Amino acid sequence: MLHAWVARCVRLSIPLGIAALASGIQISAASADDVIKIGAPLPITGPLAPEAIKQQQGYNLWAEQANKAGGISVGGKKYKVEIVYTDYQSNTPRAVQATEQLITQNNVNFVFSPFGSGAAKAASTVSEKHKVPTLAATASSSQVYDQGYKYLFGTFTPNDTLTTPLTEMIKAKVPEVKKVAILARNDLFPLAIAQEMEKSAKANGLEVVYFEKYAIGTLDHSATLSSIKAQSPQWIFVTGYTNDLLLVRKQMIDQQMKAPVVSMIAGPAYQEFIDALGKGAENVSSAAWWHPAARYDGKDIFGSTANFVKLFKDKYNAEPDYAHASAALCGALFQIAIEKAGSIDRDKVRDELAKMDVVTFFGPVKFGANGQINSLDPPVFQIQGGKPVVLFPQAIKQGDLKIGLE
Amino acid sequence: MQAVQILINALVLGSLYACIAIGFSLVWGVLNVINLIHGSFIVLGAYLAFGLYQSLHLSPWYAIVVAAPVFFVFGYIVQRLILNRVITAPVLVTLTLTFGLDLILNNAMIYVFTADYRRLTLIPPLGSVSFEGVVVPVDRLIATATALALTGLLYLLLRRSRVGRAIVAVRLDRDAAVLMGVHVPSIYAVAFGLGAALAGCAGVLMALIFPISPLTSSAYLGKAFVVCVLGGLGSVSGALAGGMLLALVESVGSAFFGPAHATTLSFLLLIIFLILRPQGLVGRKGFE
Repeated sequence: MLHAWVARCVRLSIPLGIAALASGIQISAASADDVIKIGAPLPITGPLAPEAIKQQQGYNLWAEQANKAGGISVGGKKYKVEIVYTDYQSNTPRAVQATEQLITQNNVNFVFSPFGSGAAKAASTVSEKHKVPTLAATASSSQVYDQGYKYLFGTFTPNDTLTTPLTEMIKAKVPEVKKVAILARNDLFPLAIAQEMEKSAKANGLEVVYFEKYAIGTLDHSATLSSIKAQSPQWIFVTGYTNDLLLVRKQMIDQQMKAPVVSMIAGPAYQEFIDALGKGAENVSSAAWWHPAARYDGKDIFGSTANFVKLFKDKYNAEPDYAHASAALCGALFQIAIEKAGSIDRDKVRDELAKMDVVTFFGPVKFGANGQINSLDPPVFQIQGGKPVVLFPQAIKQGDLKIGLE
Repeated sequence: MQAVQILINALVLGSLYACIAIGFSLVWGVLNVINLIHGSFIVLGAYLAFGLYQSLHLSPWYAIVVAAPVFFVFGYIVQRLILNRVITAPVLVTLTLTFGLDLILNNAMIYVFTADYRRLTLIPPLGSVSFEGVVVPVDRLIATATALALTGLLYLLLRRSRVGRAIVAVRLDRDAAVLMGVHVPSIYAVAFGLGAALAGCAGVLMALIFPISPLTSSAYLGKAFVVCVLGGLGSVSGALAGGMLLALVESVGSAFFGPAHATTLSFLLLIIFLILRPQGLVGRKGFE
């Protein structure tokens, strides 16, 4: 009796189960239709975690704004935005795997590149293979874009756009600068910036008396700084990530090193650099791809630079820097391209990105033939009174270069 | 004058390296355990110093007094509850176990403190002392003096105290020590506790000088490992000699060949020592 009852239940459950499963697929397929998924492989853990968090905050702010406005409008229909994150643990080979997984298993429509030039270049091979439009928020080295790829676009101008205006300004305003010492983290982006710096210094008639690399993870720079001090350069230029630069600057203070000009890329734009160094950050000059002092009236979802800064401050209770802004811009650019294409077809969106010519909160955006942005004048700035003060370009200038260190 | 500056930098750095390595060397020498949690203990000590300074404005030299007993108890418990179960197993087993424990501790630190770098900035700053163009930061001088004092204390403890002699006895001949009435599991736990306490104290000193992040633990562990091989296991002076040698190679190598090659040079030296003098500079059988 009991057996017969169980058998009946099982028999009944099979068609019911199939029906439930089918309706489930129907439901999920219907909901998936209304969502645009963008894959974002990020180094959420590991040494690059602080940088990943910045990118994530930028993407999330954009997604929140886009969804608050009802979603992205595609041919009269609104699509919600969903960002699918994967953690590649600051390990570039894993960034490539993560990108492949996002495209083939998570079925994302579009991709945000992983952090930095090295990982963006590695992962771009995958998105190019699958013909997925990809926006890189934090890749500036021209080697990333010189691969002849059609689906990769980036919002950072080439590295020399940071070093050339800085060198020209220092040469014009501080004529006593004759000798430059360059110290670079042995990593794709910092080293590329240092090499550009060496080129622009030589092009401007300055003598490069010291050019050395330090290993990733170096904690003690005292011996290196002693060697630099012995050369008595008037300009000390250091590249690396925030932690490296904090360490070098602190150890410079410890060794009582003074020079008329000290420049560091890319740390001084971040508030934590200023907070951690206090007076030690004063008069350190730098350059970045964007600054909250910029004043643009954009056609993107954020509108003006001031509105972007306000929205960011409201959400995160902190001042945005170029990494946050560039990530948010990438989202906004996908939105513009999709809405213009009137479709989520990858090729149509790719074509809209290629012919993009729009003013945004970040500045004018136009991509060169290689996919890298070529329409921006990155600001040169200096920490003055605990704040980054823009010195160049003229349109957003806030102050004049100060010489010497605190 | 640059040469004097480099030499002084090396001496200061060497004593810090010795301080990082001495607890590691003690555990390796006595328990025959390559303790991969050591780097995370150091970072945890740095967080303790940072937390005490931020919340209670307690200076790092007072934080050491807190760190030493806290870490001793922590290490003692880890040894008694976990490591003692596999202490007689082959070295690969203890290596794997401490590797696993380190993964847990390190990821827990990333979860709790995040991967962001923090700095313990003393207010007012301690500044630097300079003589004839040679400059030494005061915080490094204090850290050096404290590191040397800790090293001296360990030396005295091992030579003069009853428990110290028991540690040396267990290291020299475990079975004979048992026959003499030494309770080996307790001695192992005390040695591991001492190693943890020294790591915690080293972390407090590191917080004075370097930024704090869970991600730096592997750098400290790497230094400890190299120092132990260079100096040789089994003696306090070995850790000191190894630390000094490593710092000297790094500082001089960095000045001559550029900072990018400092790490390569130190590992090259490590390989040379492993081939030509595997017992290290002053390696001995017993730990004293």
